[in-house]
Parts: sequence; structure tokens; C-alpha cells
Amino acid sequence: MAIIEARNLTYTYPYAESPAFKDVTLRIERGEFILLTGPSGCGKTTLCRCFNGLIPHFYGGKLEGEITVAGLRTIEHPIHEIAQHVGLVFQNPENQLFALTIEKDVAFGLENLGLPRDEMRRRVDWALKVTGIYDLKNRAPFEVFGGQQQRVAIASVLAMQPEVIVLDEPTSFLDPLSARNILGVINRLNKELGITIILVEHRLDLASRYANRVIVMNEGQIILDGEPRKVFLENEAALIGVGIPKVVRLYMLLKRAGLNIGRVPLSPEELSKSIMEALIFDRG
Amino acid sequence: MSMFDGLKFRNISSPIHRIDPRAKFIYVLTFFIIAVFFNQLIPLLILFFSQIPLIIIAKVKKEWLRLIKGSSFFATIIFIMNVISLYFYSGYSSLASIIEQASAMTVRFIVLVESFSIFFLTTSPDMLGLSLEQIGIPYEFCFAFTTAIRFVPILAEEAQTIIDAQRARGLELEGENFMKRIRNYVPILIPLIVNAIRRSLELAEAMESRAWGATEKRTTLYMLKMERRDYCLILISALMLVASLYAWLFIKIPTMTQILNIQG
Repeated sequence: MAIIEARNLTYTYPYAESPAFKDVTLRIERGEFILLTGPSGCGKTTLCRCFNGLIPHFYGGKLEGEITVAGLRTIEHPIHEIAQHVGLVFQNPENQLFALTIEKDVAFGLENLGLPRDEMRRRVDWALKVTGIYDLKNRAPFEVFGGQQQRVAIASVLAMQPEVIVLDEPTSFLDPLSARNILGVINRLNKELGITIILVEHRLDLASRYANRVIVMNEGQIILDGEPRKVFLENEAALIGVGIPKVVRLYMLLKRAGLNIGRVPLSPEELSKSIMEALIFDRG
Repeated sequence: MSMFDGLKFRNISSPIHRIDPRAKFIYVLTFFIIAVFFNQLIPLLILFFSQIPLIIIAKVKKEWLRLIKGSSFFATIIFIMNVISLYFYSGYSSLASIIEQASAMTVRFIVLVESFSIFFLTTSPDMLGLSLEQIGIPYEFCFAFTTAIRFVPILAEEAQTIIDAQRARGLELEGENFMKRIRNYVPILIPLIVNAIRRSLELAEAMESRAWGATEKRTTLYMLKMERRDYCLILISALMLVASLYAWLFIKIPTMTQILNIQG
């Protein structure tokens, strides 16, 4: 059953001359891990804003076509209703945390929903444990590192127990190690809790191993959509400047040189395994 | 900035930090009222020194000293203004009594600053917001209040970045001409304001995404509850107020000059 379904969706920001994206048709199933990528300004962020109703309710502008999220038509339902189904994590952790303790920040959404205190306490502790920041709960969000701040942002969305979590370039303010750890946390949400993930990301080297579907956008349109192992091999992806993972590029170079190692690798581990196998096969 | 550092909250644990903000506020207010009652030097000095143990218990000595140092500039101005006005416009005869009266006014100012600094140094803005909420102020205002406090350090940092960037492009901020210096701050203020607006939009977006305004009956994770020690503090404040009212009405407080004269 589709959790997000968009048909012929076109959106124009107020006072903009041309639409941010045009005629987007998209169907996202429950439990998918989707990697959404494409050059800056291609409409990724705008699309994310449609998923939880920020467009059109917060931004105004002109939205044409149909979009339903968790069975709700976003045009007819207010943001706070959709927010209980779709959580949105933003790029800059600094601007999405409000409170002066981490624990209170995670509770912010639940307070807005008017949950009873014991239920709130239970969910906050759970979200803090899942994201691995339980020990920091009494610190101020701006006292901890960027990576931990982004965990707080994820925990605060997670506490609302949404079915979908949309993350808009959550690692762009982070160093490589923190980025890898955050992506690990996101992967656990998907694999262990079954939450549908839509991850907007440029660091494909780190992220593509977790995804089961890659969507590439360019100039307001979806140009590629499919399994990562297929999408990254397309010429078009490389041409518009998607950062094809290095392991895939090595795979292609090997193939061109005459060595076919079988499956397209998505991580260095997979690549080294395939190469070992191919070498043993060659000798044998 | 050093003066405002004396009002910045640092999250440490002490008996004073744990007191309910409402009780603490009543205590501070009482001090405020008493300080306004008296205009003699001796009771004001007593008020000043009686607060020092609290500061030591609350472990905020360093911040407090910085605040006193920061306020010394204003204290000096108050002292000088008082000396001048007392000399020209009042019937004080001797220089000693003029100086005593001026010092009393200065100490009063310091006592007021002192008691408010104890309050702000030991009360987390979150708790302050919560107590505002619990005395019935609409949540929107409380939220605006805590958010403003939370973003002060971030905006200060941003301002410094902009200053550095504009200086690197040759912007002159130190100069003799006052008007010109003011005008040179415009290239700093404009990016700062634009950034603040952009930031507030992002913040609003994040709030909307976390179900802001979903229900009229908002709940809170923390709940302030007045405990015995809080009632004790209110009681102490009330007693202090009564005692000082009594002293103000019925006890003739000697001035420092009188005491020194008797001894001399």
C-alpha cells in the first residue's frame, strides 16, 4: 500500500515565474528507504515540503495535481495533522531546536499534541535511547556537537511516531564520521522500526548502501527512479553531476577494462568481496 | 558585554537553583521593595552583605563579581550625579553627609542589580518560561521569551562573524568621527537582520513540522511544584518585609556620620 502518492504534481512559489517542479508523479511504498538526489536547486527540498503539508499551507503559492500522504490529501488537512504521519528533519540543526534542554526539545512536538505527561515521558525516553543520546538529555542542544544536535532533531521527530521520516540533507553540516553515524541511525529506523525513509543527500558514497531506491531529480523533474545498482550505471546520472559512488565508478572502469565482477557494488566491502571472488574464479 | 554575562544562566546544581522560580521571584521582589524603602547607608549595606552567602551557596561567585565590576561604571555615574545634585539643590550642610547620602544611593543601585542577578543566574530560562506559563500567561508569549533567550548567543556569534567578514573587506569600525562610525555599522546590521529573518522562517517551518498549534490544551513535560522549601522562602520574604517595615516606621536609624562623630 502506498504511503505517499503524487500525481501530476506541479508547484510554483508565490511571485516565482516558473514552477519549482513540474508534473511529478511518484508512488512511495511503506517501509522503503529512498535516496533523493540531484543538483542544487533541482526541486528536492520543495518536494520534501510537499510531503508534510508545509506546501501549500505554510508557503502559499500554487499547487496543482494530487498528493496524498498516509491517506490524507495534504491540501485539505492542516500541517499539524500531517506532521503526526510525516516527520521532517532539516539541514541546519541549529534552527530546528527550540528548548534549553535536549529532553524538552524532544518533547516539544508531544507537548503541542497535548499528550498526557507519563505517555510523553515514555516516548521521549524511547526516542532518546533509539538515537543514542539518552545520556545527554539534560544538556542544552547548543552545547553539544553538530552530529549530536542532528540526533536530537531526529529524536524529536521520532517521538511523534510518524510512519515516514523525511530528512533534507541532514549531514551537510557534519564531518564525515558524524555523517556516517547519523546515516547508521537513520538506517536502523528503517530496518528495525519499519519507518519509511526519504533521505535527500549528496553524499552518495555513504548513503547508497542503505537505500533500496534512488530517485534523481533535475530541473524540477524526476529523471531517474529505480534500484541504486541500476540508476548509478545510467549515463544521465553522471552527466547532471550526481556524485556517483566511487565504488560504482571503479566497477564501471573495471568492466570497461574487461573485468566483470558481477553485481554492482554499493560499499567498499561489497566491492572487495566481488573482486576477491573474481580473482579466485580467474585463477581457478 | 561583561555586564550582561552577569545575567547569563549556567546550568549547575545548587540549593538555590532548585528553588521554584516563583518563590525566588517573590524573594527578589521583597528585596527590591526593602531597598527602595530605605535611603540610609547602613540598612542598604546590611542588605548588600546579607546576599553574599546566597551567592556562595549558589556557586555563582565569579559571574556575580563580573556583574558588580560591569555595573561599577553606572554606579560611578550615579554617585557623581548624586553628589552634584545634593550639593546644589539640597540642604545638606557637611560634605560627609553628602557623600554618605550619595553612597547610599549607589549601594541601593548595586543591591537592586545584585538581587536580580541572583535570580537570573540561578533560574534556567526554561523554568522561567514554564513559571510564566503556569501563572497563566499565554504560551505564545512564553515561547517567544525562551526562544529570544536561546538565540542571543547564536546571534552574538553571527554578529562577530559578520564583523570579521566586513573588516576583511576593509570596513573601518574604529575612527574618530562618531557619526561616521555609526554609519559604518550599517553593513553589519543589514546582513544580521536579513539572517535573523531567514533564521526565524526556518524556525517557524520546524515548529509547524512539529505540530505547533495542534491543540488548545497544550501539555508540558515538566511541571513546577511548590515544595516546602519554596513556601519557607516566601515566608522568610514576608517576615523580612514586615521587619523592615517595622524598622522603617519605628526605629531611628543612625547615619554613618553620626556614629563616627560619637566615636571621634
